[in-house]
Amino acid sequence: MNNKVRYIGWLFTLIISFCSNIFGDDLIAGKCLTCHKEMSPGLYQQWYNSAHAAMDISCIDCHQAQKGEADAFMHEGALIATLVTPQDCGQCHSDEAEQVQMSYHATAGEILESQDAYLAHVAGGEPAAIQGCESCHGAKVKIDPSSPNKLSPKSWPNSGIGRINPDGSKGSCNACHTRHTFSVAQARQPEACSKCHLGPDHPQREVYEESKHGNAYYTHIKDMNLEADRWIAGMDYFEAPTCTSCHMSATVSLPVTHDVGQRLSWTLRPPISVHKDNWQQKRANMLTVCSGCHSASFANGHYYQFDAVVELYNEKFAKPATEIMNLVIKNNLLENPASFSNEIEWVYWELWHHEGRRMRHGASMMGPDYTWWHGAYDVAHNFYFKFIPEAQKYGNAEVNTYIDNLIKNDPMHSWLVTATENLKKDIRSGEMQKIYRKMFEQR
Amino acid sequence: MFNKYLSFIRRVSVTGLGKGGVILTTSSFITLVILELARMLGLVTNAYVGLVTYLLFPFLFVVGLLLIPLGWYQLRKKTGLSTRRLLEEKFGPDETRGSLTGSRLFRFITLLTVINVFFLVAISTQMLGFMDSAYFCGTACHSVMNPEWVTYQQSPHARVRCVQCHVGEGAEALIDSKLNGLWQIISVTFNLYERPIPTPVRQLRPARETCEKCHWPEKFYGSRLMTRYNYQSDEESSLLYTTLNLKIDAGKAGAKAGIHWHIGQENEVRYTSVGDRREMMLRVEARRPDGRYHRYYNRNATAHSAEDVVERSMDCVDCHNRATHIYEEPERAVDDRIKRGLLDLSLPYLKREALAAITRNYTDSTEAYDGIAQSLRNFYMRNYPELEREKTTIIDSAVMVLRDIYSRNIHRSMNIGWDTYASHIGHKGNTGCFRCHNPALVDSAGAAISYDCTLCHSILADNHKEPFQFLEPAETGDRDYQRHRYLKDEFLNSFKK
Repeated sequence: MNNKVRYIGWLFTLIISFCSNIFGDDLIAGKCLTCHKEMSPGLYQQWYNSAHAAMDISCIDCHQAQKGEADAFMHEGALIATLVTPQDCGQCHSDEAEQVQMSYHATAGEILESQDAYLAHVAGGEPAAIQGCESCHGAKVKIDPSSPNKLSPKSWPNSGIGRINPDGSKGSCNACHTRHTFSVAQARQPEACSKCHLGPDHPQREVYEESKHGNAYYTHIKDMNLEADRWIAGMDYFEAPTCTSCHMSATVSLPVTHDVGQRLSWTLRPPISVHKDNWQQKRANMLTVCSGCHSASFANGHYYQFDAVVELYNEKFAKPATEIMNLVIKNNLLENPASFSNEIEWVYWELWHHEGRRMRHGASMMGPDYTWWHGAYDVAHNFYFKFIPEAQKYGNAEVNTYIDNLIKNDPMHSWLVTATENLKKDIRSGEMQKIYRKMFEQR
Repeated sequence: MFNKYLSFIRRVSVTGLGKGGVILTTSSFITLVILELARMLGLVTNAYVGLVTYLLFPFLFVVGLLLIPLGWYQLRKKTGLSTRRLLEEKFGPDETRGSLTGSRLFRFITLLTVINVFFLVAISTQMLGFMDSAYFCGTACHSVMNPEWVTYQQSPHARVRCVQCHVGEGAEALIDSKLNGLWQIISVTFNLYERPIPTPVRQLRPARETCEKCHWPEKFYGSRLMTRYNYQSDEESSLLYTTLNLKIDAGKAGAKAGIHWHIGQENEVRYTSVGDRREMMLRVEARRPDGRYHRYYNRNATAHSAEDVVERSMDCVDCHNRATHIYEEPERAVDDRIKRGLLDLSLPYLKREALAAITRNYTDSTEAYDGIAQSLRNFYMRNYPELEREKTTIIDSAVMVLRDIYSRNIHRSMNIGWDTYASHIGHKGNTGCFRCHNPALVDSAGAAISYDCTLCHSILADNHKEPFQFLEPAETGDRDYQRHRYLKDEFLNSFKK
């Protein structure tokens, strides 16, 4: 009996506190909006036009903090946090938040150990690393008790995709879903991704713009149905895909995913490309996108050509260059001790990190100019006339033997020591092309 | 007696200089008496006459008096004779017989001197009185003071004399002000004054001494409804309201303290700011009931030299810095004239075009007067040619009203344009209240002085077609539902004890 009374009492208290909580929240929310409409009217207006506003989701729903959170602070009577993390968004968008945590994007903030971050810190300096690297990759958010919102100005503002948040979550939803409109159309457009995916080392934006896909998109942007709830290429729009169409959005047979790597069969990032784990499934995933608009032979044909370019890059340039680099290091030929303090290291770096990626990315997204002129052409020029001469300068027997052998005996490189007439004859007869037959015979 | 006076006058006039003096004194005296009589009888009402009556003629009168002995001095030099000899020669032995102080002439001169002194005292009193009048301050240095004079006449304090705020009471203040006036005469004569003249923040009498004569802090202020009429820039110049309930209570008699808490008798707010502009706060402190001060420091403040830094206790003028010499903002001025019915809303795009006409960059008022007329007429001629023909008189009267706005607020000769003098009442950008109430001013615990909107006013309409937007029922599904509910609730609760 006593227990029952206690239970009913507890239930009653719970209901009352729940109701008063909702009531209280409403009033707090109204207060936030009142001042911020005046103090930051653009922000208010963005929110006002958002789907959040239509659903009565306002400031406090995302910015409310719990006692004990490192970045929580009292602001006009409410305990709030400036930083909204995937964990906060995940209160409602739980599937998306989970997918993000598993994605490669979420690891982007862990770059401090990478060569990229090393280079930015030594050759550049912290200010450039903060505004450069960490702006895209995400900062490790630091707490500064003397800062008005408890966030160190070195790591706030930051909306890098792999931001390491004080609550332990990784990422920042607004890297793509720009606050405070959180427009679905904005996130679906290529501009959302090309905040970071552009430039000499990964020109996805430029490749897309060059490709037929990009071309069609910019022509038919008004027909892209970008605001639609369901957005499947070939069904809800059909003129062109955007970045998200292929990498994230729902397809005829797959749901939308925020784990961006799920449709990638290769990693085109490292010096030598390798297939990703479970790559066949991932390629099959991507093919479900292609099939929205293309026949199977068309899509498979693309992969046939693309795979060959990756193999060509790997076999002809990446592997020999990497081998030469290893020999240089093994024989202690580098004059200066620090990484990147020798010219050859920069040359090798640009060979794979800039030009080599351009070649691979160009092929992956059907950008002819990036595959050849910005890609393979630059790789070849760099390999033959900067990298090899730089390595030969050391006068090391082992290195020189490797290079001599490569140029003399590898049919892919022996053109260097063959007469032009003979080479042209081989091209005309198809003998030259036979050298590269194996590139098309991969898995 | 009159004959005797005339013969005295004839005889006392020696040499050209002396004669001039006599003529000057006599004519000034006569004119002065006539003018003063005319003023007393109400025949002359033009206040500008005061400048002549009380300043020019008394001055000429004294100069004339001084010239008379100068004439005598000249004569003595020329003839080489003694004063007594000359007097005897001029006035005859009857008049000069006896000792110097016992002679009839001496007694007569003494009598006249006493009359002169009486006259001068009387006229000086009148003069000081006149110089205390707003009219004198506003017009004596016409070009310099004109902006202040124009704005003052249209202000809530138009019936309070300048000196009541600008000059203190007692002899010391009087002398101070006259010495200051002397410098002003010099600076006007030799063109040394600043344009625009700086706001006299240091010379002003303490607000506690002046403002509080009428606006005493024990007065119960309560709260006050304020509605702003915001005409839009669309074709109809449609009207939207912003209604605020200003919480202006001083917090006496158990009432909740509002904005006038700052000057409540048990409270004191001190601040340190940069220069006389009082805009960039370095430190703000408020006295707590236990007598200790709670301090806030500006975390964004940059270093300033000691002479740039001014510390003072807050009083009326720190917010009401433009209580009298009120320069309008152009948009508010147009809204105000529309609201008062001076601008006719039957003209399309009136608000937009009126604002454009008065805010163009004119170099002087002639150009502005032409420009305003051209701007408005051309717009209607080009876009509404028929209406322009039909409503010529309405457009013309709009032009007159706009010119009036311009001439009230813009004074190019004194370098006064729109926005020359910032007003600290309310807030616009980071001015006014937001000088202290902002996130940068924090105490040692990092807490800022509150800058919550509803701290000082409830919001009953926010640029909305209903003047009491938020008192209407809040509708679920409205994107502003939460704000609506909060503001209604806040207003209703603000009256609870």
